[in-house]
Amino acid sequence: MSGQSGTLPDSTAPGEAGFIEAHQGELGGLGAGLLAEQARIKPTSLTREAFYRFRANRLALVSLVVLIMLLALAILANLLPLHSPTIHGLGTDFVIDAAPSGGHLLGTDANGFDLLSRLIYGMRPAFAVGIIGQAITTLLGVSLGVIAGYYGGWIDALLARLTDLIFAFPSFLLAFLAVSLFGPQYAQSAGGAGIVLLITVIFALVGWPALMRFVRGLTLSLREQQFVEAARTVGTPDWKIITRHILPSTWGLVMVQSTFGIGAFIGTEAVLSLLGLGVQKPNPDLGVMVAEGINDLSLNAVEAIAPSILLTVIIVAFAFLGDGLRDAVDPRGNE
Amino acid sequence: MRLISFIVKRLMSMALILLAVSAVTFFLVANAPGDPIRVNLAQHATADTIKQLDHQYGLDLPQWQRYLNYLGDLAHGNLGLSLAQPGTPVSDLLGNGLPVSLKLGGLALLVSLLVGIPLGVVAAVRQNALIADNLNMGLMLVLYSIPPFVLIPFVIDIFSIRLGWLPAGQWGDAGWLGVKETVLPVTVYAAGLAGFFARSVRSFMLEVLHQDYIRLARAKGLSNGKVIYVHAMKNTLLPFASVLGPTIAFLVVGAFIVENEFSINGIGYVTVQSTLANDYSVTEATTLVLAAAVVIINALTDIFYTLADPRVSL
Repeated sequence: MSGQSGTLPDSTAPGEAGFIEAHQGELGGLGAGLLAEQARIKPTSLTREAFYRFRANRLALVSLVVLIMLLALAILANLLPLHSPTIHGLGTDFVIDAAPSGGHLLGTDANGFDLLSRLIYGMRPAFAVGIIGQAITTLLGVSLGVIAGYYGGWIDALLARLTDLIFAFPSFLLAFLAVSLFGPQYAQSAGGAGIVLLITVIFALVGWPALMRFVRGLTLSLREQQFVEAARTVGTPDWKIITRHILPSTWGLVMVQSTFGIGAFIGTEAVLSLLGLGVQKPNPDLGVMVAEGINDLSLNAVEAIAPSILLTVIIVAFAFLGDGLRDAVDPRGNE
Repeated sequence: MRLISFIVKRLMSMALILLAVSAVTFFLVANAPGDPIRVNLAQHATADTIKQLDHQYGLDLPQWQRYLNYLGDLAHGNLGLSLAQPGTPVSDLLGNGLPVSLKLGGLALLVSLLVGIPLGVVAAVRQNALIADNLNMGLMLVLYSIPPFVLIPFVIDIFSIRLGWLPAGQWGDAGWLGVKETVLPVTVYAAGLAGFFARSVRSFMLEVLHQDYIRLARAKGLSNGKVIYVHAMKNTLLPFASVLGPTIAFLVVGAFIVENEFSINGIGYVTVQSTLANDYSVTEATTLVLAAAVVIINALTDIFYTLADPRVSL
């Protein structure tokens, strides 16, 4: 692949000019060699290569499959043959804190509700806050980051100060304060969905600065790259440069950050619910179940242990998935 | 000179952030739905008592004026009165909770450093070894990723209920120096932090081990132990200061969880109980104190780091 077609250096006139010419030759040759190489082998895109690297990472792949299965269970919970997680059928008998049996595969909780059913329904707030909240965070962080990084000037200065401020405020405390102050009035609205929505929005509003800084940094370095300069030179409008040239170069790393973020949101939602500030009982939620189960550990340990394991699996799976994605899109980043 | 101007600038930005933090806390609380006076008076609320108490707590003034009063009180170290426990100054509640939290957090920090650093060093030195690195770091990632409370049911079930070795509460009991009561909360609290430290130390150590001066130390025939524990260790521990910020944030979240699950009367417990009791003035104060602690420690870390490592460009 070494350059053969370039201009040879003028051996009689050594010096800077000759040096540059020689290296231009080398670069030109390199380009030609690459073209020849590309003609012979099937082209692979960066995305496809990242996909191959991801597929080779067993832990990340298993995590992805597990997460998809759990998400499907949570979404399709209504269609599954489960006991109701919050209502006893009229005239039916129920036993509280029952041990696992054929009728209730994991037993029942302190109110006599089926644990398995509550576990599956209880994943809904977790996934809703994690995935929807992180989606809004990503949208906010990426758009503000690109705007700040690309345009610079007073917009950048203003957004940077704003992120500094939100960043400096410990995010857990800010989310805690906002949820505990504004949560109670939504606690029981829409069958417990009101508080989930509130938590989602608050997390998203508190969570975007980290991503904004990250994307701003990427944009700043991309803006100076030659392909962007070339696009600007031929008169490409700003919005097209941003959507066609800058955003596609950031999405891989953004996806990695967002994946880690989902796990963090799910953990924080569970903590708030555990403390009695998030989802309120009897609505099913993994954090609420841990809090309730701890009081009944000696009666039926499954009540607290099962949601703990499930939460651990979900959060750790998102961590492994994020690790795998990072190795896939940025193979040199993890040296 | 540049160093001094950096320190002054950093301290000034810290002061501005603290001011902003106090404003955010104040206006969030001031605009929260639900009138704490009416809620806490319940059936005793008559137009007169409400008016009188509103006046007593200064709630009848416009918001910006209340904020200025609040700042003035803060400057005098006056955090106001508890709304739910009439007559009790908020600073009393904080004064009871803070030492408990500091002891709990300090012990957890100590344990996690003692566990995390050696595990991180071992993983770096024996990079890619199955047990020393891969399994070790996998476990540390699990400990770091999961919130501490998912461990709590397991440890209570096993050690308190099945084995009956350790109590699941009664923090601060006189017992044998209260050691038995501290084991479970401190272990759970320290677990995540140990995972975080181990993973950070591993990556810092790996970076150092690839440098030329380490190769030189080996080339001149130093023993492996001396290369790692004397030459590499120093430069591994320096960047460690940079993880102090996340550590403090981690400790704050941990305090909320561990104190509430083990019924330990620290600042996290006080905060959660105050929110559940609509005691806004206490919530406001504890949040502010915790946030201020994080902001101040972050600023001090930055300054310390610059002083300790001359390579950090100003």
